[in-house]
Amino acid sequence: MTGLRHAYGRHTVLDGIDLEIPAGEVHALLGENGAGKSTLIKIVSGALRPSAGKVEVYGRGLTGVPEAQGAGVVTVHQNLGLVDGLNAVENMYLGRPYPRHGLFADRAAAHRHTAAALGALAVSAPLDVPVRLLSPVQRTAIALARAIEQKPAVLILDEPTASLTAHETTVLFGVVRELRERGTAIIYVTHRMAEVFELCDRVIVLHDRRVVARARPSETDPDALVALMTATEASQAPPRPPRPAGEAVLSVDGLTGNRVESVSFEVTRGQVVGVAGLGGSGRSELLRLIGGVQRARAGGVRCRGQSVRPGSTRAALTAGIALVGEDRRRHSVVASGSVRENLSLGSLTALSGGGLMRRRRELALYEEMTALLRIRAAGPEQPIGELSGGNQQKVVLGRVLATRPHVLLLDEPTAGVDAAAKQAIRSLIADLATRGAGVVVVSSDLSELLSLADRLLVLVEGRLAADLDPRKTDEFTVLRRCYGGAE
Amino acid sequence: MTAGAGVRPALRRLSGAPLGLLALIALFTILRPTVFPDPGNLSNLLEHIAVLTIVACAQTVVMAVADFDLSVGATASFSGVIAAQLLVAGWPTVAAIAAAMAAGVVIGVVNGWLVAYLKLSAFVATLASMTALAGGSLLLTDGSTIFGLPDDFLLLGQSRPLGIPTVVLIAITVGAVTWFLLSRTAQGRRWHAVGGNAEAATYAGIDVGRTRLLAFVVSGAGAALAGLLLSSRLASAHPTAGDPLMLTSIAAVFIGLTAAQAARPSVAGTILGVVVLGVLDNGLNLLDVNPYVQQILTGLIIVVSVGLSRRRGERP
Repeated sequence: MTGLRHAYGRHTVLDGIDLEIPAGEVHALLGENGAGKSTLIKIVSGALRPSAGKVEVYGRGLTGVPEAQGAGVVTVHQNLGLVDGLNAVENMYLGRPYPRHGLFADRAAAHRHTAAALGALAVSAPLDVPVRLLSPVQRTAIALARAIEQKPAVLILDEPTASLTAHETTVLFGVVRELRERGTAIIYVTHRMAEVFELCDRVIVLHDRRVVARARPSETDPDALVALMTATEASQAPPRPPRPAGEAVLSVDGLTGNRVESVSFEVTRGQVVGVAGLGGSGRSELLRLIGGVQRARAGGVRCRGQSVRPGSTRAALTAGIALVGEDRRRHSVVASGSVRENLSLGSLTALSGGGLMRRRRELALYEEMTALLRIRAAGPEQPIGELSGGNQQKVVLGRVLATRPHVLLLDEPTAGVDAAAKQAIRSLIADLATRGAGVVVVSSDLSELLSLADRLLVLVEGRLAADLDPRKTDEFTVLRRCYGGAE
Repeated sequence: MTAGAGVRPALRRLSGAPLGLLALIALFTILRPTVFPDPGNLSNLLEHIAVLTIVACAQTVVMAVADFDLSVGATASFSGVIAAQLLVAGWPTVAAIAAAMAAGVVIGVVNGWLVAYLKLSAFVATLASMTALAGGSLLLTDGSTIFGLPDDFLLLGQSRPLGIPTVVLIAITVGAVTWFLLSRTAQGRRWHAVGGNAEAATYAGIDVGRTRLLAFVVSGAGAALAGLLLSSRLASAHPTAGDPLMLTSIAAVFIGLTAAQAARPSVAGTILGVVVLGVLDNGLNLLDVNPYVQQILTGLIIVVSVGLSRRRGERP
């Protein structure tokens, strides 16, 4: 019997969770972006130590990765955890001893064994090429075979079907059921509602740091689950009043990237377009493609009628398209620089003459943006790392505003900032639109999207699945559409 | 140094290295009271560190974009050899100098292209060009030293207008220009931004590839200039004359990073690093310390200074 129980709070990402997963059951783990699924998985697999509470497998407490592995907790992460440069056999035996033939590693036996393990998953793959050359199915199969090899007591599968076709998914389900028969407890993280009902014995719904439901699929239905995930404290701001449609300022035509698949839409002057989608739906990639960080495989972008050279942020900015990336530390802030330098970074040419930085223009920009965005900084020379997250984000917004963009692409603009800064950034977005800019906002905060946007696009697995009017919809409907639900 | 913030904040932050430098100066003055502080020796010291100053300034630019250039020493040797061979073949001095400088720029473009566009690591790309250039220099000279350079070429490294060696004047100019480039121009901002966070620089619309390539061009040109001065000073060109400049230039930038407690390289810090290495070298020479022991001591100083900057939680 697998008894699994824990309760903890870490930055209140998860708060007082009690769960018990019996052997031989598949439990689906559902939740919105940021509901705490990843944190929960990390804790169960021992990678993260809970600030309170404990995890037990067969009554044994887990305190770290080695203990978790010793107790039979095996995780297949979404990125699969394969070493790209090694072949299938080497990946199978990563961190485990090879079979021996006398003194030497018996490579032939290892080969046969790997082929058999993959065969059990109804997948064949060349065993002597680096796994990076293999297809997604083959890679998934290797990761899974390696996991099964470890005879897991608890198996965690993090979106295993993300890159599989329908047929491959069926094969995977067969394997999962077989493991269940053998008494393995399985935690199955997914964004696909259908899989919950087809495969799982129980569904656990995480919302707002807590487990809000633990039900049998037969006792519930997809809409009820979505409703659980969106249950809010009804503090929703009213949607924006409708505004007349102006001329198109941004046209996206058949844009295709790695995940994004022929997405087309238009943004008019003064319009705020919200983009909703689950993690991995391609919403961030869509902004990167439009903003020129990533080159599109197909399709094009036009700004005010002019087509924009793809794959160049400089070309995009020159055309009037500015992008603020999702991860402030990674995509936005130059930590070794001052507030002034970070503000100036997007418009160095305008702030210089003959290649020489004009200090007066820079300070004028600093004064303008600190006043407009109410940035709290000790002065222009303060290192940006000393500011709060919200103020750093405002500096980054100031940087792109200094380029006087016609189109503003914002990826999670209010993530990781305090409530006051959140509010300030939201009213800034509304303000910019009023002054004629087109704004595209990606956010995991659905209530934020509903109150900000004039129009709401839903991305599902890279495709545009819905085009909603925020005044005529609600969080429940949006999330249902994110999960691929029909109208 | 915070670019554009002027030298003052940087100076205020200076700590360990200047104190260490003062200690070194005091030590050598006490041990060799008649020789070390002698104006002749100090002028000799300045002349000695002038060539390193130029290479280290060039290295500072590459390290500002968070790369490094292992080929600067080999480039300096190569440029000296090219100029010497052309001069011996009867080329006018100006033409020979121009050809050597052009070679430095081309080397910089190749290094920059390998790193910025072919995405080779700076280590691999500049190690390869260093090796190839060393072979080129040996090939052009048959492994021997070239003598018989014309007098007007020797003026570059040996003349002293108003009693100040020309090499020192050139080094001061290069230092000033590099400082100005890094802290006062838009290009300097791009270099620092790419070095600080290349991804953020991309999002801000900076052409990261071109920015990195330009940094390597600066280091190629700086190394070539240093090689010319070196062979003019020595009145000869040796195929490995400039090679030690590679390690010492990187060491100087590292010591400078520690000294200024800065998160990014600065010309002021680098020059301080050059002076520390120069004083150490000069003083130990005066004390008749075995040159091999000097090398060991230099290595220790680099480890200690970089170790100190790590302990402050900064990544050099």
